[in-house]
Amino acid sequence: MLAHYHYNQRSGSCRQVLVLSTTDLHSLQELPIESREVLESALVCEFTVVSPSGRPITHPLLPLYDSQDGRLFVTSSVLFSKKLDHIKQNPKVSALFSHRAGIRVSPYRILLVQGNAKVAEEDIHHGWERLLPLWRKKEPYIDSFVKMRYALPLFWERSVMELSPTKVYSWPKGDANQPPEVYRVK
Amino acid sequence: MVEKVLFEKAATYTDAALTFVDDDGYPYSVPVECETDPTKRVLKITKPKSLASVGGKEVGIIFNHITPLPVGGYTDRRYLVFWGKLEDRGEKFTLEPTKGFTWDEKEVPFFQYSEMKVSRGKKYLDELSEKPWLSTRWLVIRTFRLPFVIATILPVILGTVIAYRSGFFNLLLFGLTLVAALLIHLGVNTANDYFDSRAGTDDINTTPTPFSGGSRIIQYGLLPPSAVLSLSTASYASGILIGLYLTITRGLPVLLIGLVGLLISYGYTAPPLKWAYRGLGEAAVGIGFGPLLVLGAYFVQTQSFSLEALLGSIPVGMLVMLILYVNEVPDRTWDDEAGKKTLVALMREDSVVTGFLISVGVVYAIILIGAITKIFPLSAILALLTVPVALKVGRTIKGNLGNPYGLIPAMSLMVKLFVYTTLLLIAGYLVSFLIHF
Repeated sequence: MLAHYHYNQRSGSCRQVLVLSTTDLHSLQELPIESREVLESALVCEFTVVSPSGRPITHPLLPLYDSQDGRLFVTSSVLFSKKLDHIKQNPKVSALFSHRAGIRVSPYRILLVQGNAKVAEEDIHHGWERLLPLWRKKEPYIDSFVKMRYALPLFWERSVMELSPTKVYSWPKGDANQPPEVYRVK
Repeated sequence: MVEKVLFEKAATYTDAALTFVDDDGYPYSVPVECETDPTKRVLKITKPKSLASVGGKEVGIIFNHITPLPVGGYTDRRYLVFWGKLEDRGEKFTLEPTKGFTWDEKEVPFFQYSEMKVSRGKKYLDELSEKPWLSTRWLVIRTFRLPFVIATILPVILGTVIAYRSGFFNLLLFGLTLVAALLIHLGVNTANDYFDSRAGTDDINTTPTPFSGGSRIIQYGLLPPSAVLSLSTASYASGILIGLYLTITRGLPVLLIGLVGLLISYGYTAPPLKWAYRGLGEAAVGIGFGPLLVLGAYFVQTQSFSLEALLGSIPVGMLVMLILYVNEVPDRTWDDEAGKKTLVALMREDSVVTGFLISVGVVYAIILIGAITKIFPLSAILALLTVPVALKVGRTIKGNLGNPYGLIPAMSLMVKLFVYTTLLLIAGYLVSFLIHF
């Protein structure tokens, strides 16, 4: 077990953060398969943005992981646009994968992905539709909802947020009391 | 102070995650176990051993629930978030939240939750200089509420069929009558949206349904109010032109019927008349879609009026009136707030179902008496086959008063009741032509 010390230059404080190991990666594709399975199968993640006042604001969102490219996305309707405003001011976000019912892998494993989010809105009407194949894997009925776009048009005006990871924390055996494995994504 | 009920709700969740902003400025989240104390409005959070001290930090804690479905996906979404400063006191963290928020789709259905955020969505799109998109086909269907034109088509057919029984039928005149009536109906629908938007009635309604609350075209920003008003004006103008041709070729009564129709339709929500805001909208709709359309179609064919056409128009008009009546039930609260005194808004809640049952009883009584007295052909009693549907509408309303989305089946059934009853009445006439009752 490694002890990782973090020194805060501003405050001058130093604290110990316990980690199991630290590994450098180039993308999420290089994570162990057990961790990638979490990303691929999770029905929900706790996605957190930071408000201008520094408050963490968490939303349960459907994570869409493209295993071909190792890219992680979430989408948001303009109806719930506050998180988009926050990301545009501060792109630092995280996505926690820990929901027991929502993670359908065995053994249960917890992942926290920290990174910078970028909001893609070049085509807010249809741009998100490129993620439908990933969406369909997690919500097979999504096409029937999309066909009823006329019923709630604004819900389908959606921004795509891509999370470029900087760090991933992984808890073996899904026990947050244990030190995490840390992966730094460069 | 955060409401006590949020703490009680938090105790029902099994998954919670604590989040704070780490020294690198990134949110750091970790699942935690949490006890709630609703009386003291405090959360006690077990410290994960992997976490260094975060006491004193501004944190959020989210309680999240979904129920995965066997076929994939999930349902039963609800979540709850607290924010506050985390205190590190001994074995556990303590959080006395300063703010809390919750959403449970069983309490606030997702559709309603989305409607509550419409102004935010529109504002965001405005900032992007975008308008919401809808295919042209659906934009037309939604703007004009096209599915509801059946309420015009069937009365015109009935009036024409009754005229045929009297020995008159001209296909071109039937076509022109139908087109004129449809254009006026489309004018009514769009005028209704425009004036309700001006009055704010549709804007404050966060529980519209496919049958009530207007087309939402203006509220969603799909079309500006001026465009909707222009469409209404164009529809009315086109319908009036055809009406004037029919007046010239068939007689002055067409003009009189048209003028009464315009007075009723335009004044439905437009000031200063605003029939719908004074408890007279239902009568206006009943007269418009009943006697005016049926008698109008009959007169264009025959250049006369008849008791048979008048009597035949009353059940049809009442059934259309009842579509409006049932559609008003979920909008009761919003209409009342906006000062739109519909008949349903003016009634006591326990009288709504009684009013419905009495009205539908009158519909069937007229058809039965008309058939027995041979004013209608005997085969007109085919229309009584829909009595079980009427009873089901009544039961569904009774079981869902106060639940807008629970009333959707009642509204859908009521439209079917009108369609089936009128079609069967028409079918009764057609049968009589074949079998000579």
